[in-house]
Amino acid sequence: MKSKKKLLIVTLSILVGIQFSCSDIDPNEPGALVPKTAEQDANIPAIDVNGTRLHAETFGDPNNSMVIFLHGGPGADYRNGINVKELANDGYYVVFYDQRGSGLSKRHDKNSYTIQMMIDDLGAVIEYYKTSPTQKVFLIGHSWGAMLSTAYVNQNPSNITGLILAEAGGLNYDDFTTYGESSKKLNLFSETTNNVLYIDQFFTGKENQHEILDYKLNIRSAFSFAPGNEEGIEGPSPFWRNGAMVLAGLADIAEKDKFDFTTNLGQYSTKVLLLYGENNKSYGLSFAQKEANYFPSSDIAKIENTGHEMFYFNWNSVHPKVLAYLNTLN
Amino acid sequence: MKSKFIILVLILMTINSFSQNLNWRSMTSEQRHLFNINFGFDYGTTVGIGYGYKFNTKLPIVLNTEFSVPFGEKIVDDLKSKIGGQIEILNINEFSTTLKAYGVFRRYENKFTRLFNIGSEFAIVSGYYKPKWYVAGELSFDKAITTHVKPSDLTRTYFPEAIDGWFIPSGGNFSYGIQTGYSFGTNEINLKGGKVIEEDFKSDSFVPFYLSLGYTKRI
Repeated sequence: MKSKKKLLIVTLSILVGIQFSCSDIDPNEPGALVPKTAEQDANIPAIDVNGTRLHAETFGDPNNSMVIFLHGGPGADYRNGINVKELANDGYYVVFYDQRGSGLSKRHDKNSYTIQMMIDDLGAVIEYYKTSPTQKVFLIGHSWGAMLSTAYVNQNPSNITGLILAEAGGLNYDDFTTYGESSKKLNLFSETTNNVLYIDQFFTGKENQHEILDYKLNIRSAFSFAPGNEEGIEGPSPFWRNGAMVLAGLADIAEKDKFDFTTNLGQYSTKVLLLYGENNKSYGLSFAQKEANYFPSSDIAKIENTGHEMFYFNWNSVHPKVLAYLNTLN
Repeated sequence: MKSKFIILVLILMTINSFSQNLNWRSMTSEQRHLFNINFGFDYGTTVGIGYGYKFNTKLPIVLNTEFSVPFGEKIVDDLKSKIGGQIEILNINEFSTTLKAYGVFRRYENKFTRLFNIGSEFAIVSGYYKPKWYVAGELSFDKAITTHVKPSDLTRTYFPEAIDGWFIPSGGNFSYGIQTGYSFGTNEINLKGGKVIEEDFKSDSFVPFYLSLGYTKRI
């Protein structure tokens, strides 16, 4: 009986100690679990277009030909693609933006996102930064960003001077499914998989509780660079904040409505450059050729000694290939 | 106020020390110790062990503790431990209802963070029990009351302002399902499974199911 009392007193002391030795933090408080967005912090560089606020930056002379970098995800951000800004030293006006609901851009409700809206945002960004009607516009898309770039070109083939696609994860629903199944294999007995699943008992967030849900996605994103990953990703690369709701919203739409960004690509006669990382086992030359076949004219370039995150881990090899392509069309 | 409420909940859990699943009808009054191993899916593929001690009180009570870890290369970077008990509150013919309550401690670590969580789990199990077998339904609520977040050095390089501290409220999940067991001698094999749904009754966990296969030895 005495030992029971002692145990109770010790337990209570610990619990009370925990309560009074630290202050409680609301996980929904902006900036507590994840960085604030441009809507929450006026110091973050941003533009207001198409009914949203997008975190955005530019490098180089605004009168030069424009190069817009489109990050992956959906929901990721442009931080690990920032090496592309070197193109400003090569005579280009380089534009970065975090897509709607992604990175440090404004968050919206899950059910508000549509693929068309993401395409329209890109159009609005081009118009926002364009300094003359004849200014050339190039797109460099990475992963989902390459899919989005293609979707834009499919609708607006005459607006884009050149297109560089780095491992688009499928330009229609079937290819998207194929790539997803190949690149995201789950092993229920692995540390990696259980780290993705186990966090659900620590934090739960209702739909549109962006701080909590984005935090969980940030934590889970370690899955992508786990040892032995199929995409040949060498390790972690910097990011600001993932957007869980835009990812969930667009994934639902893709599942429900399917999509096909290739229906009008026959109208885009400009040569397209497709890049793939040597170490990405899910992509490779065969998937690059499959995607290249949707375009009338294309070149495929292998980036050696890297995988899916080639812009961060092997920019030195990407840079000359991208620059040569841009200079040919500039 | 919030802190006082949390303390109260934890105190109640500690005092009552309710806890866990078994077939009351197959236990003799001499059997006091319950050793359990289990394998299944509980927010990850997990393996666990447990120990229970039965009191021969008017309303049967078992106090018990459990420890489980998910599979992976790092053994105890992620873990869950529970301490609590269970009490049979109703026994009419072969029908029985049991209440359970646990205090829960959890740990999680990956490249980006280390989390400590203090939580609770309350459950009600009701079903048809024979000495050799049983089948029952269960409903439980697993509340992650407060979670301590310690961002990793890697996270700090990306987000220098990341906060190191206790976050309240943290979250919670309801689960409901069925369980069944077969007893032979001093042994019992049990199986349970069901659905998990977050506390808003709308959102699902990444894998919204649980499943457990267990073996219990009574001494």
